[in-house]
Amino acid sequence: MNSLVVLPVLLPFLVGSILILLVKRHALQRWISGITMTALLVLSIILAVVVYQDGIQISELGNWEAPFGIIFVADMFATLMVVLSSIVGFTCLFFAFRTIAPVREKYYFYPFYFFLLTGVNGAFLTGDLFNLFVFFEVMLIASYILIVHGSTNYQLRESFKYVAINVFASLFFIVGVAYMYAATGTLNFAHLAERIDEMEQTGVLNVIAILFLLVFAMKGALFPLYFWLPRSYYGPPAAIAALFGGLLTKVGIYAIIRMFTLVFNHDPTFTHNIILALAGFTMFFGVLGAVSQFDFKRILSYHIISQVGYMVMGLGLYTQLAIAGAIYYIAHHIIVKAALFLFAGAAQKITGETHLKKMGGLLGSHPVLAWMFFITAISLAGIPPLSGFFSKFALILSGFEEGRYIIVTVALIVGLLTLFSMIKIFMYAFWGERKHTEEQSQMKIGSVLLPIVPLVALTIIMGFAAEPIFQYSEAIAAELLEPDVYINSVLKE
Amino acid sequence: MEILMSITVGVLFMVGTYMILTKSILRVILGLMLMSHGAHLLLLVMADLKAGAPPLLGEDATAFSDPLPQALILTAIVISFGVTSFLLVLAYRTYKAHQTDDLEKLRGTADE
Amino acid sequence: MTWLHLAIISPFLLAILIPFLYRYARNIHTGWFVFLLPLALFAYFLTYVPVTSGGGTHQANLPWVPSLGIYFNAYVDGLSLLFALLITGIGALVVLYSIYYLSKKTEPLHNFYVYLMMFMGAMLGVVLTDNLIVIYVFWELTSLASSLLISYWFHRQASIYGAQKSMMITVFGGFSMLGGFSLLYVMTDTFSIQEIIAQADQVVESPLFLPAMLLILLGAFTKSAQFPFHIWLPDAMEAPTPVSAYLHSATMVKAGIYLVARLTPVFGGTPEWFWLLSGFGILTLTWGSISAVRQKDLKGILAFSTISQLGLIMCLLGLGSASLYFTDADETTMYATATLAAVFHLVNHATFKGSLFMTAGIVDHETGTRDIRKLGGLMTIMPVTFTVSLIGTAAMAGLPPFNGFLSKEMFFTGVLNATELNIFNMETVGFIFPVFAWIASIFTFLYCLIMFFRTFTGKFEPSNYEVDHVHEAPKGMLISPVILGSLVIIFGFFPNLLTYTILEPAMAAIIPDSMNYIESAIFNIYHWHGFNAEIFMTLGVVAFGALLFINMGKWSALSIYQKERDPLNRAYDGSLDGLITGSQAVTRIQMTGLLRDYFAFMLVFMVMLLLYSMFYADAFAINTQDLAPISPHMWVLTILFIAATLVMPFINHRVTAIITIGVIGFLLALFFVVFRAQDLAITQLLVETVLVILLLLAFYHLPEIRKETFKPVFKLTNAVISVAVGVTVTLIAFSAHAMQHERPFGAISEYFIENTYELTGGQNMVNLILVDFRAIDTILEVLVLAIAALGVVTMIKLRMNGREDV
Repeated sequence: MNSLVVLPVLLPFLVGSILILLVKRHALQRWISGITMTALLVLSIILAVVVYQDGIQISELGNWEAPFGIIFVADMFATLMVVLSSIVGFTCLFFAFRTIAPVREKYYFYPFYFFLLTGVNGAFLTGDLFNLFVFFEVMLIASYILIVHGSTNYQLRESFKYVAINVFASLFFIVGVAYMYAATGTLNFAHLAERIDEMEQTGVLNVIAILFLLVFAMKGALFPLYFWLPRSYYGPPAAIAALFGGLLTKVGIYAIIRMFTLVFNHDPTFTHNIILALAGFTMFFGVLGAVSQFDFKRILSYHIISQVGYMVMGLGLYTQLAIAGAIYYIAHHIIVKAALFLFAGAAQKITGETHLKKMGGLLGSHPVLAWMFFITAISLAGIPPLSGFFSKFALILSGFEEGRYIIVTVALIVGLLTLFSMIKIFMYAFWGERKHTEEQSQMKIGSVLLPIVPLVALTIIMGFAAEPIFQYSEAIAAELLEPDVYINSVLKE
Repeated sequence: MEILMSITVGVLFMVGTYMILTKSILRVILGLMLMSHGAHLLLLVMADLKAGAPPLLGEDATAFSDPLPQALILTAIVISFGVTSFLLVLAYRTYKAHQTDDLEKLRGTADE
Repeated sequence: MTWLHLAIISPFLLAILIPFLYRYARNIHTGWFVFLLPLALFAYFLTYVPVTSGGGTHQANLPWVPSLGIYFNAYVDGLSLLFALLITGIGALVVLYSIYYLSKKTEPLHNFYVYLMMFMGAMLGVVLTDNLIVIYVFWELTSLASSLLISYWFHRQASIYGAQKSMMITVFGGFSMLGGFSLLYVMTDTFSIQEIIAQADQVVESPLFLPAMLLILLGAFTKSAQFPFHIWLPDAMEAPTPVSAYLHSATMVKAGIYLVARLTPVFGGTPEWFWLLSGFGILTLTWGSISAVRQKDLKGILAFSTISQLGLIMCLLGLGSASLYFTDADETTMYATATLAAVFHLVNHATFKGSLFMTAGIVDHETGTRDIRKLGGLMTIMPVTFTVSLIGTAAMAGLPPFNGFLSKEMFFTGVLNATELNIFNMETVGFIFPVFAWIASIFTFLYCLIMFFRTFTGKFEPSNYEVDHVHEAPKGMLISPVILGSLVIIFGFFPNLLTYTILEPAMAAIIPDSMNYIESAIFNIYHWHGFNAEIFMTLGVVAFGALLFINMGKWSALSIYQKERDPLNRAYDGSLDGLITGSQAVTRIQMTGLLRDYFAFMLVFMVMLLLYSMFYADAFAINTQDLAPISPHMWVLTILFIAATLVMPFINHRVTAIITIGVIGFLLALFFVVFRAQDLAITQLLVETVLVILLLLAFYHLPEIRKETFKPVFKLTNAVISVAVGVTVTLIAFSAHAMQHERPFGAISEYFIENTYELTGGQNMVNLILVDFRAIDTILEVLVLAIAALGVVTMIKLRMNGREDV
């Protein structure tokens, strides 16, 4: 058993459990959380480096070999996702230290936080379909509570819808597992891939593939299954909204990419064209939502949807360049989106508002916040030379090479509308006459902004030093398009 | 039997769907519960239903029913129990906070 | 990384330092530090003049993102150098001017100079690199810097509006240009302009040729304010005047011109390129000059004037590109004249328009207004400003002996030559070029007269001004306009200073293939060509322009004259409003807030997609062989179960509903018993019992559930959806089950049946799978329960109002 592979799941699980007992000890909780998160970040980077150098690492839990026991598989894609989850987890945690009301700490805020990460990291690392379901459930139940944490009227109202839709999605996950088990008699990803490869008749597999696409699309907020997202993300505190906005839908996207490169690659002209169409609609309707809103956090929530479209577009194009672009995009998006939500929180901390028409002139009173936001916002819109540009560019170039002009056109238009809505935030909240009080404009928020600095730095670095990042993404794409390596290292053939 | 059970599962999903499309919080929850029954039953049906001993090796039998789906269902039942209880309390709190169990009145405002 | 690269990025490096300089050296105007850089860069680029005037080029390579074909390769030839000198030369003058224009006491100078240096670096990057994507990167940075400079006084609504407008329009063009570049890459497999030019023959053959051209031109036209995308430029005048002089007349708006010139070797010589450039160019020229007449704001006049002059240059580039079509000396030379005129006018425009913006800025700065209805009689009060304005205006109006006259004459030559073209359908419609050119020139002359005389002659009315004492600008502020004014005269008298050093090398980059055929005679630029058609056209312009000006009183009451705002703005504003209201409508339809709608949308989509895929893959199958037999008690059980389920939606009593769900759960447990899953049955019983109790507890306090109040049509929809979902689930179940019997391998559970006892020593396979083979599932399942329990506690006890934290 390779313990390094298990630690990103085990560590938050254990620490979360311990923290349940320490809820009354605020300072101690913070110390333990901070240290754990740092350790998790270091660990995940070590794991990524090990995997990059030595190839796929697997860990057979309980020493039961695949496909009979459950195994964790750390390939480059999974480890990248774990690193990203740690980065965002790290940032949001430290932001939470500065912003959340102390009473939350008494009500298991940190345990839920770590259980959420347990679920997320587990979903990235597991190599078993049903185990993926279980990790999804861990993640979701933690997310249900974090999204309603504080139980304001608004939260209760929107969380009920959020939970109901996600429970519904989970049901269909089980349905999918049932069909899959009937059709293939196995649950392990690699084993599934191998068997599907050998099966001559794949008719019903296409249907099952579409069912799983739908299930993960519900988790990943694809068109037209994203209704749960925009309003519910408005409720929780910024640190949680940022963690969710950055991370949660991407678990669904991860699962889609994993399933449709490893398992369901038998009929890409059918499945991947559907994915491409979904990508286009997702982008477009998502960004329209963002254009329609005049609230800082709501605009950002809708942008999650439109951005998810780009990632799935890469998968739909199904070339190495496109998938590399999608991977790059995921990394870029997780970082940038989390940062933007945190900026919304910081702005709200100053002004007490998130509605744009009640905000104004923050550039004058808080220039550092304004410029950090500006950089991140234009990065989201794909303005060079930041991370957003290169990821979008790879996707667009690949789309042109494949002659998929419609989706490329949609992607470009959506980019423009993204810019439009981000500039809208800047116009209302940062430019214009100051609408907050003199006292508010004196507020020092350096310590609140400090945790976000690494994220902003990353989006800049990922732009200027795009070459190594892109090579890494391409290596991941190559790995995903060559599933035999994964299958062989799991099934040891 | 498999065909009959598949139809039964279909009925569960049909009724469950009908219930989640209503405006009452309680009906939505009941609908989701019905559908989860359907999902669990489906998992069992999709394995072999043919006669065989219970999956206990001590029984002196040549054929056993498939143990793996049963294990999965057990896990799923427990998980859905946890989630459903949570949903119930959430519904209760929502009702208490908003003084309504009518989802029509829990829409929120336009352009939120 | 070479000196050339360093030169390109040096403004960015300086930009990083500026906030510190501003903060720690408050006593010195930050502009003085900044001033040194463009000056040094100008001197540096002068050293390249000998290289390019000898026909040479210089290239320095630096890989950036080679995996995507992006190389930061710096490239200098005549065209790049012309622009680099303009950017740094005018840049130095503008910075010098801004030192006096912007007060160090009241203005946030660090913002200003950071934006300005960002722009300068980006603009240098655009003109000095060979890689299309690097050009694109810098291109977007210029748009960004421009918008930030427009929004410099960010609390003003007009500034914000202008900034947003310029950003949306230029970035729109940028995105489309990126698409065009990508298409070029698809055709040629490279982003290097030089390599693309080498493959120009293949590009012309490709079906992607026209789309690529259109997309790229969209980028160039938006940036260079060509009709109908020019509307952002007048609103960009909200920027401080040094910015208007620099970005919005001399440099940034010429980026589109640069790109068109740069890509002429690829696209030139084709009718599409010829017509698009010259057509939109002449249209912009005319539209801009007519609109300028209507303006009452000095900078407004200058903005529309810039638009029209940009159209002029664009048109000339289009006409000149025809020379690439020919391979004999006479015709090549005829059309190459237009290219020469374009390059020459580019320089001239930068000088006279720069000086005019600066004098307009001085008038604004010293009097507090730029409205020509208030201004008047400043000639004696501001003699130096007056003189510089006179020179600049005369050049712009196309009067000798200034440089504007020379390039205007060459422009007339160019359009007259174009009528002789017997390709591209010019023989039938070519006459419109001289006609439009002439009309536009009349209006140009007219607005020059209006602008000049309304400001400097007439009666000085002190009551029109908010400032107490109107006087000449401080000397420092006059240095830059005076230098530019002098250049107007110098280039007017000695145009050959530029010809072989700057103009001819630039031309060689635009129409390289034609250079072998061109007769050197065209490079002799002089004022007097005898009584040819051009001079008569000019005389006509002066006569009609003057006539219109004198009779202004008669036509200035026309309502078309009174409306200043470009009617095209309505299209822009309307589409933005429409975008927002439209998106709100679309979003409201989906995001209704009603859970039922969400579920309905999702389910309809899911069912449709699943059934479609079933149909597509021909996946439906049903297996009736080898089924488990149904015993009679099983029939009873099933019927009971289905009946209980079907009753559920019709129950309008909460306790009955809860009891019914309990009954269904217990029946399910019975199913499990029948299917020999005892562990499941026990668990199901337990869980169901607890849930029923919970349900009763939770809903004891709730009101009675009511009959649904949906309209019948909704109920019907719901029923249809429900049936569809049930049928879909069943159909897929049939097919999946059929697959089970066809697949060539058994389920992995055979392994458990065979090996559990040896491996674990236990006999209850389900339990052993749970606690051993798949132990992690079980641990996590417990975790889910624990989290749910804690969540319930939290939900009940923690109650916040949403204002405690963020």
